[in-house]
Amino acid sequence: MTDEKTASPGRPRSRRAVLAGTAGLTVATSGCVRQVRTVVNRDAVDQLSVTIVTLPADGDREGIRLAREVAAVLEAVGVDVSVDMRSNEEFLRAILINHEFDLYVGRHPGGTDPDLLYEALHSVYAEESGWQNPFGYANLQLDDLLEAQRRADGEEREAVVAELLEELAREQPFVPICVPEEHRFVRTDRFDGWGEAHPATRLGYLELEAGDDVDRLRTAHTDARISENLNPLTAEYRDHEPFLELVYDSLATERDGEIEPWLAEDWTYDDGTLWVRLREDCRFHDDEPLDADDVEFSYRLLQDTELEGGESPSPPPRYRGLAAAVEGIDVDGELDLEFELDAGEAVAERVLTVPILPEHVWADRAAPATVRGVSVAQGATEAVTVDNVPPVGSGPFRFGSRTEREHVTLERFDDHFTRREGVDLPEASVEELRIQIDPRSTSAIELVNTDGADITSAILETYVLDDLEPAPETAPLESPSWTFYHLGFNTRRAPFANARFRRAVAGLLDKDWLVEDVFHGYAAPTATPVTEEWTPEELAWNGEDPATPFFGSDGELDVNAAREAFEDAGFSYDDGALRVRR
Amino acid sequence: MLVQVLLQLAVVVTLLTLAGIAVIVGRYRLRDTRREWASRLRAATPITVVLVVVLLGNGVARQVVPDLSWMFGWNLTWAIYDIEGQFILWLQSFETPALTAFFSFVYIYGYVFLLIFPVIAYFALSNTRPLGELLTAYTLNYVLGLALYTLVIAYGPRNMMPELVEALMYDTYPRYQHLTRQVNRNTNVFPSLHTSLAATVGILAYQTRAVYPRWAIVAVPLAISVAISTMYLGIHWAIDVVAGIVLAYVCVELAGILVGRWSVTERFDIGNPLSRLR
Repeated sequence: MTDEKTASPGRPRSRRAVLAGTAGLTVATSGCVRQVRTVVNRDAVDQLSVTIVTLPADGDREGIRLAREVAAVLEAVGVDVSVDMRSNEEFLRAILINHEFDLYVGRHPGGTDPDLLYEALHSVYAEESGWQNPFGYANLQLDDLLEAQRRADGEEREAVVAELLEELAREQPFVPICVPEEHRFVRTDRFDGWGEAHPATRLGYLELEAGDDVDRLRTAHTDARISENLNPLTAEYRDHEPFLELVYDSLATERDGEIEPWLAEDWTYDDGTLWVRLREDCRFHDDEPLDADDVEFSYRLLQDTELEGGESPSPPPRYRGLAAAVEGIDVDGELDLEFELDAGEAVAERVLTVPILPEHVWADRAAPATVRGVSVAQGATEAVTVDNVPPVGSGPFRFGSRTEREHVTLERFDDHFTRREGVDLPEASVEELRIQIDPRSTSAIELVNTDGADITSAILETYVLDDLEPAPETAPLESPSWTFYHLGFNTRRAPFANARFRRAVAGLLDKDWLVEDVFHGYAAPTATPVTEEWTPEELAWNGEDPATPFFGSDGELDVNAAREAFEDAGFSYDDGALRVRR
Repeated sequence: MLVQVLLQLAVVVTLLTLAGIAVIVGRYRLRDTRREWASRLRAATPITVVLVVVLLGNGVARQVVPDLSWMFGWNLTWAIYDIEGQFILWLQSFETPALTAFFSFVYIYGYVFLLIFPVIAYFALSNTRPLGELLTAYTLNYVLGLALYTLVIAYGPRNMMPELVEALMYDTYPRYQHLTRQVNRNTNVFPSLHTSLAATVGILAYQTRAVYPRWAIVAVPLAISVAISTMYLGIHWAIDVVAGIVLAYVCVELAGILVGRWSVTERFDIGNPLSRLR
């Protein structure tokens, strides 16, 4: 009970007790009591205690190592740290859906265009669930720049993006750590054309030329989630993989950062209006026709998965930023659409890359999901929670079969427009695509080596790369990378709302050293979350971090300098512990 | 690839078991067994049926347990790491290729042999009580282990410290991943069921040392090696292993009580079972 006396002096009950005891005393002593009250009613400031959420090594070998390094430097500056490892789905659910984290370390899907930052950071998304602003970050100046880059084109856009990135480097709503290299391992005796297009996109698989008598493409995939859920809108189950792009068409497709026609035959853009013409006679895998109404429906669903049936919109956790650029769509017959967009041409074309969903399947999914006896969170519609097996799309491959945690098998969709005479687009060269789940990079490589698979379709972990031995029939495949590892702050929680604090934390990370130590050199340290071509010169990596230089050198943290940085930012130490009001 | 690994496992364990029968069980017990097998089988049938049902149910439940755990379970990985993080590193500092090969062998083949052989060895005894206790203890291990798996989410050392705790076996012998993946989910490390089942066999082997002195000499060190292998290979924390040993002790004790009470054999057996053991 001594606990109550010393640790919680501010409780009303103990105050009343003090008052009762002094009830009969004179006016002179009331001054004394007031002084005691002034002292006693001040809350003690405790040591900062944080949890870093990340994936276990089975999910992200580099992620857990980064998280432990971050934990170590935070402990060095007097923070009490614990690391919370969660499975792939639970990790994404914690950071994207429930915002149940102080800090997290993980891989951001990134993108080839800086417009990804609109979705990632715009303050109107701070309350939403999904890849849209998981940090809860709100900065009006940044909002203006994010909107300006959307509307601009050409050099004007480059200038806005540069300004945006500088503001970002100053504010550090998350700390970009590095861009990991993407390596895969392929068999070259059965297929040609590896690397013609990026293997994390649909074209990477459609550009392949099958050898004689080869009618099956086999991938060894280290992430089991694709076998558990095939819903393009469920953020927790989606990662850097191309398979749903092969099942669901989009109006346009991306090749090396450029946008090319796909389901749309053609489009013209003029001052915020985009006229799109679809290809004729396209069908979904269940033989229902695909027309302009399905396209219009898809964009509507991506803006509100309740289709305006709820009290407020329930946007999905993916494609939010792109769908938001659409202000209105007019359907003009079966094949023509007119998009009203709040975007310049560059972003307008990107809006065409979202999946087109069949209205006859998804219209019924606009209702809130139900679990008997459990109250379900608002916005959890059927559309974002259903596992969507079998998926019905219109893409070059249709769903065949699956066994959870073992395989997903896709079959060629023979009616796809890419197989028509006169359509000059890459088409599926095999009848079957089998995605074999194989949980480790080493055993996936062994599958390729023993002719059990043609490619390791997920990115290989870096620790196996030094030991890759190409044989006559196999080869390593490196692809451009735009995903990045980052340290995410939950800026809804103190002290991460404070940019000075975030900057001080950023200075604790020796990104150069982390790249060498954790990634075996197979990554590039970075100060910006965009690709190199968009990075302004002032923010380019020059041997050290141009935005938040490391307090120390060669991975050795100068603890005194780091603590001073926190003190300069207005925080205080007591007995070596960093004290923060929360 | 899985088929190949399973075949290899079957061949190795069969050879080990045959050798064990020759050296440990001996000719006379085999002769008696040929005469009495029908009655012994009858005696062991009820608990065998229960065990098979539990194993089948376990196979199904394992698919659901992770989902349930993520809804209701406690995530204890960091707490465990905080308490003993250094121990596994210390253990792994003795790493040599020979040790890795030895412990990988023990973890896969030694373990399966350790579980299968006593079933045969105890079946070769006229007294069916040891067999009943063994099968009952196996059943309890699976039931209680599954309950703990549901309540506790914990990742093993290899998931926490991939660079220090090399997942030695899976990287040196990637094919084993295919085998163990069929059985284990990576959040199911508390308690170590490998340890608890091995310790169960070890404890029972010690209790029956008068009948099978040679088996006790083989089983006890092998059970200890299995326990060490789970830590050396970075699969389990020391706390998981301790919990596994506690679970084994509880299961053996409970099995002793249960078999004493409900044994079908007892009713037909006349005289002190222990005297017949000797």
